[in-house]
Amino acid sequence: MLRKAAVLAVVVAMSGCAAIANKAADRLSASLTAGVLDQDDPETVAAGLPAYLILLDGFIASGPDNADLLFTGARMYSAYASNFVLDGERRKRLADRGFDYARRAMCARDRRFCTAFDGGDFERFDALIAAQKDEARESLYTLATSWIGWVQADTGDWARIADLPRIGAVFARVVAVDPNYDRGNVQAYLGVLDCLRPESLGGHPQRGIEHLNAAFDFSQGRNLMPKTLLAEYCARLLFDAQLHDRVLGEVLATDPHAPGLTLANTIARQRARELLESGKDYF
Amino acid sequence: MIAKSLLVLIAVLAADLATATTLKLATLAPEGTGWMRELRAAGETINQRTDGRVLIKFFPGGVMGNDVAVLRKITLGQLQGGAFSGSELSSVFPSAQVYSMPFLFESLDEVSYVRKQVDPLIREGLRQGGFVVVGMSGGGFAYLMSTRPIGTKNELRATKVWSMQNDRIAQLAFSNGGINPITLPLGDVYTSLQTGLLETVAITTSGAIAFQWHTKIKHVVDLPLSYVAGMLAIEQKAFDRIAAADQQVVRDAFESAFRNLDASGIADNDSARVVLEKQGIAFHQPDPDEVRYWRSIGDQTLKQMLADGSISAQIVAAIRKAQAEFRAGSANADAGLP
Repeated sequence: MLRKAAVLAVVVAMSGCAAIANKAADRLSASLTAGVLDQDDPETVAAGLPAYLILLDGFIASGPDNADLLFTGARMYSAYASNFVLDGERRKRLADRGFDYARRAMCARDRRFCTAFDGGDFERFDALIAAQKDEARESLYTLATSWIGWVQADTGDWARIADLPRIGAVFARVVAVDPNYDRGNVQAYLGVLDCLRPESLGGHPQRGIEHLNAAFDFSQGRNLMPKTLLAEYCARLLFDAQLHDRVLGEVLATDPHAPGLTLANTIARQRARELLESGKDYF
Repeated sequence: MIAKSLLVLIAVLAADLATATTLKLATLAPEGTGWMRELRAAGETINQRTDGRVLIKFFPGGVMGNDVAVLRKITLGQLQGGAFSGSELSSVFPSAQVYSMPFLFESLDEVSYVRKQVDPLIREGLRQGGFVVVGMSGGGFAYLMSTRPIGTKNELRATKVWSMQNDRIAQLAFSNGGINPITLPLGDVYTSLQTGLLETVAITTSGAIAFQWHTKIKHVVDLPLSYVAGMLAIEQKAFDRIAAADQQVVRDAFESAFRNLDASGIADNDSARVVLEKQGIAFHQPDPDEVRYWRSIGDQTLKQMLADGSISAQIVAAIRKAQAEFRAGSANADAGLP
């Protein structure tokens, strides 16, 4: 069935019927997002998603300047690369494509924005982001999440590490418009960025914990990923074994099923088990 | 029969566990960095090759405090060692900081040549101070970087210059250059660059990116200021508690890790420089008069450190001899001589 869908996408793309493709892509994107987010078996998603990625590639080929399609491609590729791909080279390749789609989407939406991506002064970039209208928050958020996936895919690349402050600036702009954007997950991203370095090296672990707790609280305790991230990034950075084990225990004691959060929660619980195990050696 | 074998096995395992030694090592490097990946891989190798007789436990990200706190905890037996810069070990052996003397070296090739002859002297000095160095690596050259143009000494003097707390060499050198630096902890530098409390810092190209100072810096003086060296030092008393064969395993694993770090450090700084240039940061070549002036400041600082006994004359002589050999070799190579 998935293979048939992929073949169909190629046929549609080759026929050049961009309008049909776009409508189909919109419907596909909406249904797929709901279906994926409520799945409690990550392996099913991992096995099934690649066919949809190819399908999206086909739609994008037929509408190369369609920002909505490109943003959907960015989200899907980045999420797949970050969550389901362990092989380093594959992960990098797929995350690169996700970020490329996000950049192309931004360019399709706003040509002036394009130029700021390719080097240039940070302050100019920061001013550009600050000047973005509130309505741009969805585009900015997708850009930033794809961008951070691109960094994570190769942390040995200084060009990627150097972009972290720019990514932080984009997330900060989204938080300024809506502190609870994406069910508060925008704060989870900021929290992780704050916990990448200890305070003695200029990091902000306590502020990171506050961001992650805010993300968790906004979901009224249903979104477990911020807790797992808090343990992995902040508690380990602070070498706080008690905090680490406590929050991971809370994650494992909570039912992962919640509308729109089931897949993320299931992955968060898997990661929590791994962290508790490796924590015995770490602490 | 089986029961007896099991009992013997348990007894052997228990004996091994009883004699297992854990070396607790602190480092400022956060988890997830290339440094920690190398150190952890070495720790795993040691654990496997000694069959668990030597266990390495790391405390990353500065959780054990700064160098002063780590050295105190080593004295108290709470830690057995740590990763330090040469300057941080100057309280154990003053000449450990010799590579960070300002404007001492002209190129990384020269440093590499000198280190082959001088690293063993530094290791010996630290051994006499009670530490076994099981790995040394270079972190590259620090450069003067600023939010304002600092192409000349007068421009530099007009900026607010940062110096790390307890960095006597930097404070002496800046003072010789007519600069009154502002001393702050490293963790406060980014905010200070943001607020304008600081304008000029000295850091490696990769360090500027890792600490995110590159978002504020606009100008770099393209003249190597000082060489940053890192080393893993273990307290001799703790090291001596390990059997000789296992000591060799520890040395081999960490020396191998530090050789990798040495190589990756050079590549990291090269890549980081390209990134900084791409992000619009200007690298300014100082004119020959400026270079001569700054090298004279370096010489003056070195003489002062020699005069007050902060640096060993024997080690400085070894550096000068190696430099002369290297420069003569380079001159011959330039002239096409063997």
